[in-house]
Amino acid sequence: MTDSQPAVVARGLTRAFGPLTAVADVSLEIPEGGVFGLLGPDGAGKSTLIRMLATVLVPTSGDAEVFGESVTHRPGRVTPRIGYMSQKFAMYPDLTIAENINFFATLRGVGKADRRERSARLLEGMGLAEFAGRQAGRLSGGMKQKLMLASTLMHEPDLLLLDEPTTGVDPVSRREFWRILAGLQREGKTVLVATPYMDEAERCTSIAFMDEGVITQRGTPDQIKALVPGTLFELVSPEPRAALAAAGAVPGVASAHLYGDVVRVLLSGTDAAGVAHACANAGVAVDSLRPVAIDMEAAFAFLAEEGEAA
Amino acid sequence: MNASLTRIGAIVVKEFKHLIRDPRILLAVLVTPIMQLLLFAYAISFDVRDLSTVVVDQDQTPASRTYLQSYTSSGFFKVVGSVDSVDAIDAVFQSSRARVAVVVPAGFQEAVDRGDKAQVAVYVDGGDPNSARIGQGYAVALNQVAGQKITATWAARQGLDLSQAGRLDVRVRTWYNPDRSSSIFLIPGLVVVIIMIVTVQQTAVTLVRERALGTQEQMTISPLRKVELMVGKLLPWTILAFVDVVLITLMGLTMFEVPLRGSVLVLAVSAALFIFASLGLGLIVSAISPTLETANLIAMMLAFLPAFLLSGFAFPLDSIPLPLQWLSYLFPARHMVDISRAVFLKGAGFAEVSGPLGMLAVYAVVVLALATVLYGKRAR
Amino acid sequence: MSLKRIRLVMWKEFLQLRRDPLLLRAMFLMPILQLVFFGYVVAADVKNISIAVIDLDHSVASRQLEAEFASSDYFVITQHPATEAELQPLMDKGAVKAALVIPDGTSAALTRGEAAPIGVVVDGSESSSASIASGYAAQIVGEFNQRQIAASGMTIAAPGIDARIRVVFNPTLESINSMIPGLIAALLMISFGALMSQAVVKERESGTLEQMFVTPIKRNEYLIGKLTPYVVLAIAQVAVVAIIGMLWFKVPFYGSWWVVAVGLGLFLLTSVGLGLLISLVSHTRQQAQQTVMFLMIPQMVLSGFIFPVESMPAWIAPIANVIPLTHALVVLRGAFVKGSGFAALATPLWILAAFAVVIFGAAVVQMQRRLAE
Repeated sequence: MTDSQPAVVARGLTRAFGPLTAVADVSLEIPEGGVFGLLGPDGAGKSTLIRMLATVLVPTSGDAEVFGESVTHRPGRVTPRIGYMSQKFAMYPDLTIAENINFFATLRGVGKADRRERSARLLEGMGLAEFAGRQAGRLSGGMKQKLMLASTLMHEPDLLLLDEPTTGVDPVSRREFWRILAGLQREGKTVLVATPYMDEAERCTSIAFMDEGVITQRGTPDQIKALVPGTLFELVSPEPRAALAAAGAVPGVASAHLYGDVVRVLLSGTDAAGVAHACANAGVAVDSLRPVAIDMEAAFAFLAEEGEAA
Repeated sequence: MNASLTRIGAIVVKEFKHLIRDPRILLAVLVTPIMQLLLFAYAISFDVRDLSTVVVDQDQTPASRTYLQSYTSSGFFKVVGSVDSVDAIDAVFQSSRARVAVVVPAGFQEAVDRGDKAQVAVYVDGGDPNSARIGQGYAVALNQVAGQKITATWAARQGLDLSQAGRLDVRVRTWYNPDRSSSIFLIPGLVVVIIMIVTVQQTAVTLVRERALGTQEQMTISPLRKVELMVGKLLPWTILAFVDVVLITLMGLTMFEVPLRGSVLVLAVSAALFIFASLGLGLIVSAISPTLETANLIAMMLAFLPAFLLSGFAFPLDSIPLPLQWLSYLFPARHMVDISRAVFLKGAGFAEVSGPLGMLAVYAVVVLALATVLYGKRAR
Repeated sequence: MSLKRIRLVMWKEFLQLRRDPLLLRAMFLMPILQLVFFGYVVAADVKNISIAVIDLDHSVASRQLEAEFASSDYFVITQHPATEAELQPLMDKGAVKAALVIPDGTSAALTRGEAAPIGVVVDGSESSSASIASGYAAQIVGEFNQRQIAASGMTIAAPGIDARIRVVFNPTLESINSMIPGLIAALLMISFGALMSQAVVKERESGTLEQMFVTPIKRNEYLIGKLTPYVVLAIAQVAVVAIIGMLWFKVPFYGSWWVVAVGLGLFLLTSVGLGLLISLVSHTRQQAQQTVMFLMIPQMVLSGFIFPVESMPAWIAPIANVIPLTHALVVLRGAFVKGSGFAALATPLWILAAFAVVIFGAAVVQMQRRLAE
C-alpha cells in the first residue's frame, strides 16, 4: 500500500432522483487513515454520497475512485476493500447474531477459519459474544448497530463507509461505538462516517460540511470552528425566550440561539455589555453572561445560517 | 467455481433457516397442500347422486307405488318426502328442500290396465344447472326402463313378440378411468395446482423482502453474482416443491388409488421443469414489485386464478372463449396438467408428452432468464 | 358516540384508500377478473367435444348416425381413424376426448330388426367431460332410434309411460344464471376477507392503531368509521357484478330486491366479522393474506359455489352447513333464479342471521379485548 494514494477521490459526483438533485457536483479527496466526518442537516445528501462511494447507487454523472479504482467502471474491485453500513438496520431479524455475521462473511468470501477467529474476536470486542445466539430482531438499538459494524468488519476492509451509525442509539452505546472507531483508526483503517451529532464531529480527524447536495466547508474540527468569527457568549436567564428576543435585536450580535435553557449569543466583538443592557431594558433577569469556547454545535448553527443567507 | 458454490450454499442454508424460524411458512408449504388434497379429492365429485326428490302420488295404487319405488331404488334419487298437490312443489323448490318432484296423476293404474300410455310428470329445479342436467338425464333413463318393463309385462300377457324393431344399443366404454372416479381425475391435476400456488406465492416475496430489509445492498457489494443469488433462492423451494409432489403423489396412490401408469422419470423431469417455470414466475413478480403488499397481490392474481381456473384441472377448457384459451397457454400449469394426467392415467412416455414438455422447458428458461435480468435492472 | 369522530375516521380511511393505488386497482380489478373467469370458464357448458368416428360398417345407416353426431352442438368430428388400434394414440395425446365406433354389420343387424351394439369410447381422465360426452352420445343415439322406428312405420299400441320431464326455473340450464348470484356472495366474502383485514393489520403494523386509542375516540366509533368505507366499496363491487351479470351475461332476475338486500346485509355482517377476526390473529399483512387464503378455498369449494353440495359425500354436508356462504348462496340463487320470497327462504335467512350475530359479535368482543391489551 502506497502512502501517497488517497482512500477516496471524487470528481464531480452528481446524483439526481427525478427533478431532485440529491448530490450536486461533489469533488472530494479523503486521505488514507483517520476518521472523516460528513456533517449536515437531514436531506443534505450525505446518504446518497456514501451510497455512491459504496457502489450501491450509480451516479448520474461524475465518478469516484476508491483506492484508485473507479466505482462506476470497476465496482467489483472496489467492493472487496470497503465495508458499508447503511443507515437502516440491514440484517435478517429471524437469524441470530452469529448466523447473520457468518452469512455475510461467507458471501464476502471469508474462509471458514478466518470467519471463526474474526467473529469471536469482534463479538468479544463489542460485548456481543454472550448474545451470539440471539435473533437479530430482538436486539436493542445499540446492539443492532454494533452487530452491523461487526458484520462490516468481517472481511477486514480498508475503508469503512458508515451512514449515521449512531442515530437512535443511547449515549452510552454511542460513546462505546466511537471507542471502537478510534481503535479502527489506530489500526490504520480509513473511516468515512456521516453523522448529525456535533459532539461526534469533534472526534473526527477531518470533517466536511454538506448542505443541499454540496460540500460547503471542510477541514479539521479546529479549522471549522475557526471559521466562526467573533466571540460566543452563554446567557443564563430564568426567561430564556424573552432574553433571546432581547439579545437578538442588539447591534453587533451575529446570531442568537437557544441551546437547551441557555441562550447562545455570537458577537462580532468581545464586549457583551450591549446584550446585558438590552436585557435589563426589556426587564429580563440575567443570572450569568460569560464567554465560552466555540464548539462544533455553534459552528454548525453558524454555517447552516450562512448557507441559508447565501 | 468453488467460491461460487460456497456462496450459493450460504444462501441455501440461510433460506432454510428462514423457513425453520417461521412455522407459518412450513404450515403453508407442507400442511396446506395435504388439506387441499383431502378437500378436493373428497368434496368434489362430478357424479351427482341422491338428488333430493319429493313425490306427489295422486293415484295411490299398487302400480303408482311400484313406479315411485323405482326412484328410491335407483340410487340416483333420494325421496325425502311427499306433498299433496302440484302447487306445493313450487314452495318446495323455492326453499330448496328438493331438486326433483315426481307427479303421478290419478288414473295411472287404470291407464296401464287399459293398455294406454300412462301420464307422469317430472319437474327438475334448474336453479343448480349441474344437478339439473344430470337429474334430467337420470329421469329420462329411469322412465324408459320403467316403461319398457310395463310394455314387456303387457306383451307377455298378450303373447306378443316386440323384438322386431331394430335399434342401436350404446355400449359406453370409459378408458383410463373406468369408474370415472373424480379423485382419479382430479389428483394428477391437483398436484400441479398446489405446486403452482405454493411456489409462486412463496417466491414472490423473497426478493422483495431482501430489498425491504436492506440486505440486498450488502449483497450487491459482495462478490455474489445475480445468477448465484437466483440459484440459491431456487434450490430450497425446488426441494420443498418436490417434497410436495412426492407427498401428494404418495397420498393419491395409496389413499385414493390413483394409478401411476407412466414412468416416474417422465413425471420427475416434467415436474422439475414445471417447478422451475413457476419459481421463475414468482421471482419475476418479486423482481418487479416495489413492496411486499404488491408482490403478494400480484402473486395471488397470477397463481390462483390461472392455476385453478385456466389449468384445466377441474374445469374443461375446450368450451371457453378463444382469447381465454390462448391466455391459458401462457401459464405453465395448463401444460403440466396435460402432462401429469397423461403420465398418471394414460401411461404416456416422453414421446407422447413431448409437445407440452418442450413448452415447459422453453417457458422455464425464458422466465428464469427474465427474472434475473429484471432483478438486475431494479437492483440499483 | 360522536358522529364527528366517526366521520373523521371515515375521511382518513378514504384518503388512505385513495393514496393506495394498488388496493384500489385490486378492488376494481377483482370483480371484473372474477366475472370473466367464473362467467366464461367455470360456467362454460361443455360443448364441441372433439370426437373420432371409426366407421367399420360403411353403410347408409352408419353415415346417417355420423351425420347426427356432426350436426349436434355437442360434438365436433375431428378424426376418422381406420381402426380402433389407431384410436389409442389419439386418445393418449388428448387429440380426441371421445370416439364413436360403428362395427361392421351394424346396418345388417338393423335391417334384421336386432339390437346392434355400437361403441362409444370416452376419455375417463377428464371425468367431467366424460360423463357429459357419454350422456350426449346416448341422447343422440336415442333420437336416432326413435327416428328409425318412426321411419319403419311400425306403431306399437302397447302401454308404457309417457313421462313429461320439465325443468322449472332456468329451463335452458345455463350455468351462468346461477353463477352470477353466487359470485355476488363470494365476492362480498373475498372483498372483506382480503381487503379489510389488510387495512386493519396495516394500521397495527404502522403503530397508528395505538395512537388512535390514546385519542378520545371510542372503539365503536373507530370501528364504524373504519368499516363504512369498505362497506360502501363492497356494495359498489356487488352492484358492478350484478349490473354486468344482468346486462352482459343476460342473467334474469325473478325475485324481490328486498330479499337480496336482507340476505346480503346479514351475510355482510358475517363477512365483516370474519375479516376482523382474521386481522386480529395476524401480525403482518402477509400473515393476514395467508390466513385469508387458508380459509377462503375450503369455503368456496364446500359451500356449493362451484360444485353442488349434493354430489359430495354425506359426511361433508354438516361441514357445508357451518359455512355462512352456503346459506347466502341459497338465498341469492333462490331470489335470482326462482323468485323465492321471504317465506320460502326463511330457514337460510334465519341461519344467516344467527351467523351474523355470533361471528360479528365475537369479532367486536375480541376486538375490544385485543385492543385493550
